[in-house]
Amino acid sequence: MNASSSSPGDDRGRTSRRGSSPRRRGRTRWLLITPLVGLTIIIAGVVVLEAAAPLVDVTGRSVVDDLPSLILEDSPTCTRQSDDTTAEDIRGRFVPGGRVSSGQIFRCPAALDGMEVSYAGEVVGDILERSGGAWVQVNDDTYALEVGPLVGHRAQNGFNTGLTVWLPDGMHERIGGVGRPAQRGDVILVKGTLLRTDPEDGGGLTIRADEMEIIADTLTIENPLHVPQLIAAIVLALLATGAMIWSRIVARRL
Amino acid sequence: MVLRPGADDVRLIAFYLGKVLLGLGLVMLAPLGIALLAQEWNAATAFTIGASLCLIVGAVSDARFATRRPLTWAHGMVIVALAWLIGAIFAAIPMYLSGRFSDPLSAMFEAMSGLTTTGMSVIHDLDHTPISDDFYRHLLQFAGGQGIVIVVLSLFAAGGSRVATLYVSEARDERILPNFIRTARFIFAVAGTFLVLGTTALFFALLSASFSAPRAIYHAINLFFASFDTGGFSVMQASMIYYHSFAVEVVVMLLMIAGTLSFGLHFALWRGRPRDVFRHLETRTLAVTSTIFFTAICYGLLRSGTYDRFEPLVRKGLFTLVSAVSSTGHQVNVGETYLTDWGVLAPAAIVGAMAIGGMASSTAGGIKAVRVGVAFKTLLHDVKKILLPESALVVTTYHAGKRRILRDNTSRAATTVLLLFVVTYLVGAMVGLLYGDFDISQTLFESVSVGSNIGISIGVVSPDMPRGLMAVYVGQMWLGRLEYVAVFALLGYLFSLARGQAKAA
Repeated sequence: MNASSSSPGDDRGRTSRRGSSPRRRGRTRWLLITPLVGLTIIIAGVVVLEAAAPLVDVTGRSVVDDLPSLILEDSPTCTRQSDDTTAEDIRGRFVPGGRVSSGQIFRCPAALDGMEVSYAGEVVGDILERSGGAWVQVNDDTYALEVGPLVGHRAQNGFNTGLTVWLPDGMHERIGGVGRPAQRGDVILVKGTLLRTDPEDGGGLTIRADEMEIIADTLTIENPLHVPQLIAAIVLALLATGAMIWSRIVARRL
Repeated sequence: MVLRPGADDVRLIAFYLGKVLLGLGLVMLAPLGIALLAQEWNAATAFTIGASLCLIVGAVSDARFATRRPLTWAHGMVIVALAWLIGAIFAAIPMYLSGRFSDPLSAMFEAMSGLTTTGMSVIHDLDHTPISDDFYRHLLQFAGGQGIVIVVLSLFAAGGSRVATLYVSEARDERILPNFIRTARFIFAVAGTFLVLGTTALFFALLSASFSAPRAIYHAINLFFASFDTGGFSVMQASMIYYHSFAVEVVVMLLMIAGTLSFGLHFALWRGRPRDVFRHLETRTLAVTSTIFFTAICYGLLRSGTYDRFEPLVRKGLFTLVSAVSSTGHQVNVGETYLTDWGVLAPAAIVGAMAIGGMASSTAGGIKAVRVGVAFKTLLHDVKKILLPESALVVTTYHAGKRRILRDNTSRAATTVLLLFVVTYLVGAMVGLLYGDFDISQTLFESVSVGSNIGISIGVVSPDMPRGLMAVYVGQMWLGRLEYVAVFALLGYLFSLARGQAKAA
């Protein structure tokens, strides 16, 4: 049964049951609408603030020149067991020692297993030294080779992608810097053997480098202070402090 | 007759939601401190804004809506359902201000993924992310994994009877100690103990893997949050591949297993009663299903020729299985290679393991082993009833803390939620197919992973994914974490607000 099912002529019942109902309903409505409006204002404010972030001109600074072209122009996908012909086809088209991207390898890992390849990318994170060499993570995404770390610009180009590279002793010591926040690490070009299941890495997909060349040095990107965001933070922090004090005072009175 | 909630009900809900936002504001102060130490000024201002907004809303609701009215079950359900939704919106504020998300929906996806310990990520350029932003993503998993509502309310000392409704509404239906506040504090104690032990073990494992001490601490803390809370976010885009360390993988696996144990079983171990763990229906269900799935994964990988040696087969296969069953989502393979290099059977077994998930009343997601176990027992019970004479009294029992008789309402509840999970998996997969960019193996894998709050990705989830599908996945994470009931209660509450009859004055 709902409110509209009561008799239309039952004014007395309506008054007694709903005597304060319109007012109470109004209060309920106000309590529901106010947070929605507040939330909308907050989201809009945050969007405006983010859009006002200062940008720095990074045009050309992060582009890595002198990269050899990729041997395969496309990135054919194969599925193990069902697309053996695709893997063979890719293997046939590939020139040993030619440059590949991590994306091309992931789309058909079986195709280039055991072949000599060239691979270029930025060393990120840490250099993990082990007996006889070091593991490094080498990313070949656009942040590494084209636009630089996502700082001070809006070239949001998706996930990082890269491969594990084993650098023997004598090579990894030459790396001057690694990718960290607001810093692009050294960009290296390695030539080595691609192993789909490297026994030294518990079956991981790796490149075991025989040669390494540093083709771009570490690059630090300045991160300009977002002044409007700083002002908003100070104002809101003051308001939050005031609100917290007010709520404590009210709580003590209750 | 449906009664329309009044202003007092709305005030009560607003009061408790304010408390949750107060707690979230306090959570944001930790990465703020790290941002200041690391001199990441823009991140520091972003966290100040996020924390301030949470504290303002929380303080205003505290001052305006303070009440001593008791919570009903309906209130509890609505508060919890809204808390996870509104919490994700507010948690997304510093994320969006970091400039690493395409739009507010992406930031909310990341925040919901963190809070629900799903671990799917849509962040751009993770490998150059400021350390405070990265720490915040992982800390959200800790807050969400411990159950942010119960954490906040036990901290703010609401009465035990009030918290009881919220505790159950947050899909934590196992009361370990007689008092809910004491139960919540026991959960804290477990998490605190594992925080110290797990972080220390990871620190030494990372040192042995050639990490410098500061980097080892940073990775150890984040890895702990992501592993024990079965979250699955990673510091580097390469996830577990990055570490090249068997020792790190072993510690992470142990933490994932600890995270997937129910807090009731942690309590049994705490009290020196390991027998209770082995007799428990959930332990047995997980042991049986995991053995079946592990066999299938190994057979699948061998048959497809992915690995032909023992070490990679076991190391990759077992880690991925534990990651799936525990609903963590750490990966030892690039997601795309599950499609291109793992054949068909192994990924299918991973989907099965992800669908079942871990134990109830733990940080794990999925259908939960107890429901699968009860559904199986129900099936056996029905078969027995058919085979025995009609006059025979068939009684089926199972062990869950103590020996219990399988009753119709238990069976119905378990199978209903099981069915709802399956329907949600299928809906997510179908919506993914509508976009035409993925095939069914991809959309089903990803839908199960998202709906079970797992986080292993085959490549559908990305910063550029269709926004409609992203919104559906946000809903799936929310539904999966709350196990439907609280969300349905919220929908019912909204319906009664619109169509219900006014309460008598």
